[in-house]
Amino acid sequence: MSAAAPARRFLVCDGNEAAALAVALARVDMVAVYPITPQSSLVEYLAKYIADGRLQAELVNAEGEHSVLSVLQGAALAGARTFTATSGPGLAFMFEPYLRTPGMRLPIVMSIVTRDTLTPQSVWGGHQDAMSVRDVGWVQMYCETVQEVLDTVIIAYRVAERHDVMLPVNVCHDGNYLSYGTARIEPPDQNVVDTFLGTPDVNWHVALDPERPMAVDPLTGGAGGAGPAMFVRYRRGQCAGMRDALDAIREAHEEWGRLTGRHHAPLIERYRMDDAEFSIVTLGSMTGAAKDAIDEARERGRRVGLVKVKTFRPFPAAAIAEALRGHGAFGVVDRSVDFAWNCGPLYREVLTSLHGITPAAPSQSFIGGLAGADLTVEHFESVIDTVGQLQNAGARDTVWLNAQD
Amino acid sequence: MPAYNTIAFHADRCDMCGACMTACAQAKSASDSPRRARIEVLADGAGSFGLAMCRQCADPECVQCCPAAALRKDAETGIVEWDHDRCVNCLLCTVACSYAGISLDEAVGHVVKCDHCGGDPACVRACKTGALEYLTTARIYNEVGALEDLFVPGLAGCQGCNTELLMRHTLRRVGPNTVLAAPPGCVPGMGAVGYNGMTGTKVPVFHPLLTNTAPMLAGIKRFYKRKGREVTALALAGDGGAADVGFQSLSGAAERGEEMLFLVIDNEGYMNTGMQRSSCTPYGAWTTTTPVGRESPGKSQDAKNLPLLMVGHRCAYVATASAAFMTDFYAKLDHALEASRHGFAYLHVYSPCTTGWRFPSRQNIEVARKAVESNFVMLWEYSPEAGLRLTHPIDDPAPVKEYLEAVGKYRHLTPGQIAHIEHHIADNVAAIKRQATAPL
Repeated sequence: MSAAAPARRFLVCDGNEAAALAVALARVDMVAVYPITPQSSLVEYLAKYIADGRLQAELVNAEGEHSVLSVLQGAALAGARTFTATSGPGLAFMFEPYLRTPGMRLPIVMSIVTRDTLTPQSVWGGHQDAMSVRDVGWVQMYCETVQEVLDTVIIAYRVAERHDVMLPVNVCHDGNYLSYGTARIEPPDQNVVDTFLGTPDVNWHVALDPERPMAVDPLTGGAGGAGPAMFVRYRRGQCAGMRDALDAIREAHEEWGRLTGRHHAPLIERYRMDDAEFSIVTLGSMTGAAKDAIDEARERGRRVGLVKVKTFRPFPAAAIAEALRGHGAFGVVDRSVDFAWNCGPLYREVLTSLHGITPAAPSQSFIGGLAGADLTVEHFESVIDTVGQLQNAGARDTVWLNAQD
Repeated sequence: MPAYNTIAFHADRCDMCGACMTACAQAKSASDSPRRARIEVLADGAGSFGLAMCRQCADPECVQCCPAAALRKDAETGIVEWDHDRCVNCLLCTVACSYAGISLDEAVGHVVKCDHCGGDPACVRACKTGALEYLTTARIYNEVGALEDLFVPGLAGCQGCNTELLMRHTLRRVGPNTVLAAPPGCVPGMGAVGYNGMTGTKVPVFHPLLTNTAPMLAGIKRFYKRKGREVTALALAGDGGAADVGFQSLSGAAERGEEMLFLVIDNEGYMNTGMQRSSCTPYGAWTTTTPVGRESPGKSQDAKNLPLLMVGHRCAYVATASAAFMTDFYAKLDHALEASRHGFAYLHVYSPCTTGWRFPSRQNIEVARKAVESNFVMLWEYSPEAGLRLTHPIDDPAPVKEYLEAVGKYRHLTPGQIAHIEHHIADNVAAIKRQATAPL
């Protein structure tokens, strides 16, 4: 008599609920919240889990995002595993403590339910909020599907709390398309998550604890003495943690795949790239429509592939260079704007990662999906057509998708 | 050897009304006759008054000369006790005492003397002019003197600064099981958090942002409480961060009843960054951002009454204090500490700044006292259960001009500006008194 395989459990939910589920599964100690569109339902789910006793955590309904992150900093310094989520203007208001979190090496996990930033006034999706804080020192991963949202929030704790990383992590999921879009997902068993994450070990390196008294963040620096060199050591240590996060992200995804059978690409995903003669680069939920467009183009005989960037910070420059090298022209589709260079921010970073590789490939920046606009298969067909016709490397004006929708 | 409480006599405030004697006679002898009192105020012949009353001497002559061991000094209370069963009525003690502090009461046929009414002297309660004062400062020495000073030696405050005094007293009272937040300002500026990897205190201490002291402490406190650990969350903040840029987070934490002791040292501006205006800077004051010039006579708005705003939050405890009234401060510190175990406790200490206010460093405590005695600031405490209560009411305030003249930042004031300040004080006194008598 053979033992029956345990029945698989599925759930249909949106990305906000999936993120909240992940937080419950990660047995987070403290959740601080302030509502904002399109994040609100995520924190409502968390409040309900805590009210129902499904998540044994402290809930702080703070009076604003600035305090939300401040509460979590305090809790982390006391040893708590912590979570919050925000969007757009909330992230902007949170910026002061946000700026400080990586330097304090606090492994806080925060979902950014991405939203286009003001102004014009907008409550709809776009990556401009997360992109505006890309150089602060948080690890940032972008999700493609609802399942990936759930899995990545759990993975984020393993990355953040690794002793050679000790950095805060943003899990970015697209406002509207992932926050409210529903899909079938398979939640992991609690014991799988417990095994994967282990016991929180949050403040071994910096603590506010009367049993281990220390000064946290005294003034450091000055024109002479021990200060400036000490400041350099802190900065370089932070850079080392960011560098090591690439490995930590890879390792965490591999282990998660081994435990759950779900192997998400940790840094970048190569889709039909092996024989590709040109390619497009995507970020976030737009990738689904882009893959459909790739499949259709392949059916028409176009040798086109796709590279999806999952980890944006630290930037996986070597992996991207390796993926694109020798595959001809590429186009990068951004859901936000780099105002300094009049192109998409991901485009600029991809170009930078290819620096020194000859011959330089023709390339094109596309910007679309701003303020909630849909990026459809048709949009990606036009992207593929444009990139397929690129001849020479060199500067080109950005193509604004949705401009004629 | 412990220190003891004592009854002090300020002859310059006495108008010889005799209320103290009547009150004593009523309390101790059930009589209205001042002759039955154990206190006597006498004209000293030079236009002033002297006090005949037991001084509870440390080495009492009365005890030494008593042949029957009927008098003894109680080492615990400090009171010189008289024992009826041993007394042989020789009256030697009445001769030995230099203060006429023990005398024969003919109505009962033996000597009588003051015993401080068990700690609440009837004479002091009856004195309306403040000439008699029951000093309990001894308890600071007795209860706190032996506690460890938890700051490092050599904090680099300005000469004459009282903030270091407040910091050291506060932390030694609050004790080592504490997490201390010192947001940017004079407290970390003088080295409390430390520099370049070295700490300034023996308890865990940190620099919050200027804006997030209360929520950071809330996160710490809540997690320890969840883990079953009782840890005191203490903030030593300045008025600028609390009343201006950090007010939202302070208000939020107070509304949520986060359990902490939030102490604001109010030196009426951003003194650490160079004496700029805050919303706690009083009307008329010179600061580096409300300079005095042809077009500007100093600050043109009144100070925000931050402690009263905290009362509006119905915090578990709110009080004002002054560096010149340490007994009052200590009592409030105890109340605040107790309240911080179940809610948000807010303590606002008025703290003159020798550097930023422009007065000689030796006059710091004197300036602080003048502020209270002129009602420029008022000392009170509040809890939702007991309401607001004046702890040091000044019914006959000194002219505020005397206070303003002691402080250089007001030296340019015109009569019109002084009139504005007087008017503002009257309004403020009325507002506080309304609160003090309002139904709960």
